[in-house]
Amino acid sequence: MTDARTAEANPPWEGLRGHELYAACMHEARMGNRQAMDRLVTELTPLVWQVARGNGLDRHSAEDVVQTVWLVLFRHLDQLVDPKALAAWLITTTRREAQRVGSRKQLPVPLTDELAETVPSTQPAPEAEVIRADRDRQLWNAFAQLPQRCQELLRLTVLAGRAEYRLVADALRMPHGSIGPTRGRCLQSMRDLLETQGGSV
Amino acid sequence: MNEGSTFPDDTFPDDRALLAELGRVVDDIDAPPDDLVARIQFALALEDLDVEVAQWERSGELAGVRSTDQDTVTFTVRDLTVMINLTKIGKSYRIDGWLVPAGQYEVEVRVAGHDSSSTIADDVGRFVLHEVPRGTTQIVVHVGVDSSRRTVVTPAVVL
Repeated sequence: MTDARTAEANPPWEGLRGHELYAACMHEARMGNRQAMDRLVTELTPLVWQVARGNGLDRHSAEDVVQTVWLVLFRHLDQLVDPKALAAWLITTTRREAQRVGSRKQLPVPLTDELAETVPSTQPAPEAEVIRADRDRQLWNAFAQLPQRCQELLRLTVLAGRAEYRLVADALRMPHGSIGPTRGRCLQSMRDLLETQGGSV
Repeated sequence: MNEGSTFPDDTFPDDRALLAELGRVVDDIDAPPDDLVARIQFALALEDLDVEVAQWERSGELAGVRSTDQDTVTFTVRDLTVMINLTKIGKSYRIDGWLVPAGQYEVEVRVAGHDSSSTIADDVGRFVLHEVPRGTTQIVVHVGVDSSRRTVVTPAVVL
């Protein structure tokens, strides 16, 4: 108990980031440290979530797939030797799981009321809030109309600060140099969609 | 509404501005549920992580509705299907379940913040668990005997 408390106060991964953080946590997790597992889950669940959603799963299915991916990871942690491969492994496994689940029931991802309601209403002035909510809705709808591959790429590169560009390319099996141009085309499609729907909202 | 004025032509002159805005909208509208990390951590807090993960099945109507008075939920993994019927009784549930194919396997229900309860399915694969507390729930089935014993778990959901 004392040990656990000490570890909690000053875990070996304290202050680390990126691959160094993953390496330290994976090492500890292999030795049975549950806090190290929890740390990885906290750090990388947003990435796994975006991949699941970017592959066309509704939110409930995405929740289940995200959990499945983590359970599979910790079952096979010994086989994943290189901490640098962790994020790519998560992306690849999530895509595979998402496709497996998605092939059983093909659902589009429209802006449902469920989603619309999750838009937080923390803006100061109601007027500004309405305008912003309108904007957000238009952006979201344009985004939702993009081809799935665009949606996935944009979701992943929007998170680029956290997930690296290179591993996004690897996981999507795209040449590194084509990420930028492909993303540019996706954004242009989005602009076109915004323009055509502009007057109809 | 704001006829066409929401996005003047020069609103997103460059990719960076559009990307930044999109990032914010995706974060606002489609962030993971607040309790997802906690649920994953609960699902992972198993003694032995050598498990297979079952998939919850949800029909269209059930999606999003996980806690009505009476609910039937099914989950499957490879060669095993588990159907559970939840009956709300006061603050807890009675769970009536069936394993297909039948087997006298141990079925355990873990609920966050409570002791887990377990039972053994009968020879036709039926099992009943009384007074299961509501909350973040994971079902664990120990399939087979001795050396061929394996463990199947569900993702944790709020029931």
